[in-house]
Amino acid sequence: MTGRPGPYQRQQSGPGDRFPGLDVLGQARHWDSVTAGLVAARLSPPSGLAFFTPAEAACAGVLLNLLTGQEDNQEISVLHMIDARLAAGETDGWRYRDMPEDAQAWRDTLAYLDQDADRRCGTTFADAPEDDQLALIQAVQDLAAKDWHELNAAHVWSLWTRYACTALYAHPLAWDEIGFSGPAYPRGYKNIGVDKLEPYEVRDARPSGDPIREGT
Amino acid sequence: MPGVRTRNESAWLLPNDGSRTDHRLRDGMRRFADTDELDLVIVGCGAGGSVLLQRLARAGWRVAALDAGPFWDPDTDWVSDEAGSHRLYWTEPRVISGTDPVPMGSNNSGRGVGGSMVHYAGYTPRFHPSDFATRTRDGVGADWPLSYPELRPYYEQLEQELPVAGERWPWGDPHGYPHRPHPVSGNGEIFLRGARKLGIEARVGPVAITNGRFGNRPHCIYRGFCLQGCKVNAKASPLITHIPDALAHGAEVRADAMVTRIAIDSGTGRALGVHYVRDGRERFQRAAMVAVAGYSIETPRLLLNSACSRFPDGLCNEFDQVGRYLMVQGAPQTAGRFDAEVRMYKAPPPEVSSEAFYETDPARDFQRGFSIQTVSPLPITWAEHVAAQGHWGGALREYMSDYVHWACLGALCEFLPRPGNRVTLAGEKDQHGLPVAEFSYSQGDNDKAQAKAAQAVMEDILRAAGADEVITIQRYAHLVGGARMAADERSGVVDQSCRSFAVPNLYITDGSVLPTQGAANPALTIMAVAARAAGQLAAGARSGSAS
Repeated sequence: MTGRPGPYQRQQSGPGDRFPGLDVLGQARHWDSVTAGLVAARLSPPSGLAFFTPAEAACAGVLLNLLTGQEDNQEISVLHMIDARLAAGETDGWRYRDMPEDAQAWRDTLAYLDQDADRRCGTTFADAPEDDQLALIQAVQDLAAKDWHELNAAHVWSLWTRYACTALYAHPLAWDEIGFSGPAYPRGYKNIGVDKLEPYEVRDARPSGDPIREGT
Repeated sequence: MPGVRTRNESAWLLPNDGSRTDHRLRDGMRRFADTDELDLVIVGCGAGGSVLLQRLARAGWRVAALDAGPFWDPDTDWVSDEAGSHRLYWTEPRVISGTDPVPMGSNNSGRGVGGSMVHYAGYTPRFHPSDFATRTRDGVGADWPLSYPELRPYYEQLEQELPVAGERWPWGDPHGYPHRPHPVSGNGEIFLRGARKLGIEARVGPVAITNGRFGNRPHCIYRGFCLQGCKVNAKASPLITHIPDALAHGAEVRADAMVTRIAIDSGTGRALGVHYVRDGRERFQRAAMVAVAGYSIETPRLLLNSACSRFPDGLCNEFDQVGRYLMVQGAPQTAGRFDAEVRMYKAPPPEVSSEAFYETDPARDFQRGFSIQTVSPLPITWAEHVAAQGHWGGALREYMSDYVHWACLGALCEFLPRPGNRVTLAGEKDQHGLPVAEFSYSQGDNDKAQAKAAQAVMEDILRAAGADEVITIQRYAHLVGGARMAADERSGVVDQSCRSFAVPNLYITDGSVLPTQGAANPALTIMAVAARAAGQLAAGARSGSAS
């Protein structure tokens, strides 16, 4: 399947649909205080932005919400988490030779998205109709390793999705959605093995609902 | 295990009150002055540097190790969280290039005392005897200037010091382990089930995770966050396995000290000490001998950045060997989907291995081989697997919601050393004004054939275990080479004792000296090579510093 992009689709089910009642944050009293403090801080991001300019933030906000399936419900503030990361210079510790350092790469690629939107719709990316926004993003993915504004599109896609996925799945609401139990220190796990659950874990309500199988 | 404590008391020097760091030991640590001429200054406090430090402190040497990162306290510095573990990785700028560039950071680069063993999974297999002579046996790679039997005693010592848990090991040089195998979780169960159905031998272990109390280190609690730093003190890293004993024997660990250059006497050609930056101030530590243990990117970078009038192309680089033959293992990961709940995040990711495909198989169309191990990605890493299939937006969220149903295996393929896979200096500068490393990497045909075969075996195992769907992500693991050990200066940087050919009192004691990488995780071998070099130094009574 590698290399064959999945078609864009709107999320079919709401958070909590598969693991009804799972509340990872409700277990925070069992976590060490350093971890609990860190996770709690993600629930109330700062109101302002430290890295993106207002124009960049408008573009990045839409891009990130679409990449993370949050067009209908923006409860996880991926934009703010990435803004804080870029302001602090928290890169992954490497860049492709044909890409600028991450902070500059974000600024450049957001500007290119606005240029693409202007050419297609005569608007900024943020002001373009959603179908056009989706098409513009899909066009970058479809280029694979070909050039996009003189950058390797696969390297741009890697930058966007790495930052977006790291922010999204750092959030406890996303853990509820996938059945993950979150931090586990100092408690650890007592019931390990196939189909073995801790008392506070919630069994999948749709165990045969394999989206991969449906797609093949 | 009588005897371990008399050789290395680290586990007994840690506190037994539920906290993880002996602050009194650190507060009372010996501190040398920059103007003291140390017997040895070590650059880097990871697998290689820490073992060297502990061994030579025990031998009575005046020795200090400088590390660019912090002196970690697992209680206050580490978290049970993926994104929050960012500071464990070396994230200073690096440039990657070549036809198959290798991402750095969280996957293969450590920071601070303990090095990348702070966030390695915990697998500690030995290399096979064949790894030391692949050129002679298989016509590929390189022969080491030392053989497996010369390293075996150090493997045995270190397996006790870490200590390592696992079943009796049937591959390579068959051997047992000091701690019994851990119970396996859902992911390990799936691997064992699939392997049994196909008649592939698999074993539980070998992992450097305590199974039972060891000194004041407690039993593993199966929390699953091995790659985020072990808050329990159950998983071994030099921070808890060698540094405490080193401090108790008079060594200094100088954290947050970034070494920028090795100083060379232009007349004698000998090393004089190291320039370093601490608290924004440039300083110089004198030493009769220097050992570099910065791992496969920073060690070559430091040698190249230490160019001087006598060594204008970089230290030890007269024959253009520095930075070359840098290796990474091909590490495709294949996941399988089960209607049952695997919940692979529960229990340590390192559980079960197979080395049944490690050696050259004449029936296959490639030389050397691969091993297969359980890996158990946490959500952010699992999202990489799903995104690599091309999914984004709502589709990504849907597929991710299936997380608890997936089991995941990883391969380590012995990609071969190539001279063009190397570190050079980039035009870009870091915060200290020093050129950053550029790592260029390209695969060969043998490498690609290995990765393809490894993926097929993992798919077979998962399907045999009952998976209805499999997905694979292509990636790399580990780093070794870049300043390799060789018979002479035209084919390597150091000799079999880790002493550089070019500078008689300069040693390299980390993974960069390995001439081949096997299909094994490198941590134990890096430690064993450093322990052997330490033994030779101690026996030679500082002979490297004699004029």
